[in-house]
Amino acid sequence: SICTSAASEADPEQLQREQHARSVLRESFLRCLLSMTDKKVQFHMHEKVKVAATFGASDIDVLNFQVSNLHTPIGVQKEALIRCQDVISFTFDA
Amino acid sequence: VTWRSTAAPPSERPGERRRAEMKKLYGEDSPKILAMEAAMQLTFDRNCDRKQPKYWPVIPLKL
Amino acid sequence: MQDDWSLLGPLQWIRYVNKRVTVTAGKDEERRGWLLTVDPVSASLVLVDFREDGGTSVHVVMGHAVEEVQVLEEADEEMAERLRTSFLPSSSCSLDP
Repeated sequence: SICTSAASEADPEQLQREQHARSVLRESFLRCLLSMTDKKVQFHMHEKVKVAATFGASDIDVLNFQVSNLHTPIGVQKEALIRCQDVISFTFDA
Repeated sequence: VTWRSTAAPPSERPGERRRAEMKKLYGEDSPKILAMEAAMQLTFDRNCDRKQPKYWPVIPLKL
Repeated sequence: MQDDWSLLGPLQWIRYVNKRVTVTAGKDEERRGWLLTVDPVSASLVLVDFREDGGTSVHVVMGHAVEEVQVLEEADEEMAERLRTSFLPSSSCSLDP
C-alpha cells in the first residue's frame, strides 16, 4: 500500500527524488532483513508478549516472519510464523 | 528459454505488471530492488515449504 | 510531532536518516538509537544502538505501531561513517547486477 505523492505526479524532478529516496531506504531495509538470517531475535508484541526466536526470513510485504525455535511463554515451537501486525518492535545484536 | 510469438498478448506476460509498478515506485533502481525482493521472497517461500511453520499465536494478538 | 508516521513518504523519512531518535510505539514502548533506514513498504524504522560494552544492538520498530518519533541529535561525519560501515554489509552484494 505505497503510492507516489500527489506533488510528484505533477513534477518529474520531484518524482525522481522520491523514487531515489524510496530505493535507498528500501535497499538498506532489505539488507537489514538479510543480515538477520540465523540471528537470535527478541520480539516485543502486543499485549506485553515477549518471545525470542532464530530469524529465518521475511516476506517482501513485511506481513510475516518465518522463525525457528520460538520460545513462547508456554514452551518452544520448532517452526513458526509470526504476524508482523502482532509485533511492536524487535531487537537483535549486529 | 525461447522467445516465440504466441497467441498470448504481451500484456499477459507474468511479472510484467509488477515490473511496471516497481518502475514507478523505484525509478531507475527498480531492477535492483526487484532482484533483491525476488531472492528474499524465494527464501521465505522455500523455508515455509520445507519447514511448514504454524502461526504463533494461533489467534492474532491484534485484529 | 507528526500526524501519521506511516503516511509521511520517502522524502520525509529520509530526513530522519543519521539522526538519533526516540521512538514511542505501542502503548508504552520506547526505543532509542541512530536511525539507519525506514522501510518504505511498512514504514518500519531501523535503529542502531552502539552499546557501552562495545556491542551493537539493532531495534526495528514496526511502522504500524509507531506513535511518535522525536529527533535527539544529528550524526557528525564520524558517526555517519560508523553507521554506514558497522552493521550492513557493503554495497558489493552478490545480488547487484
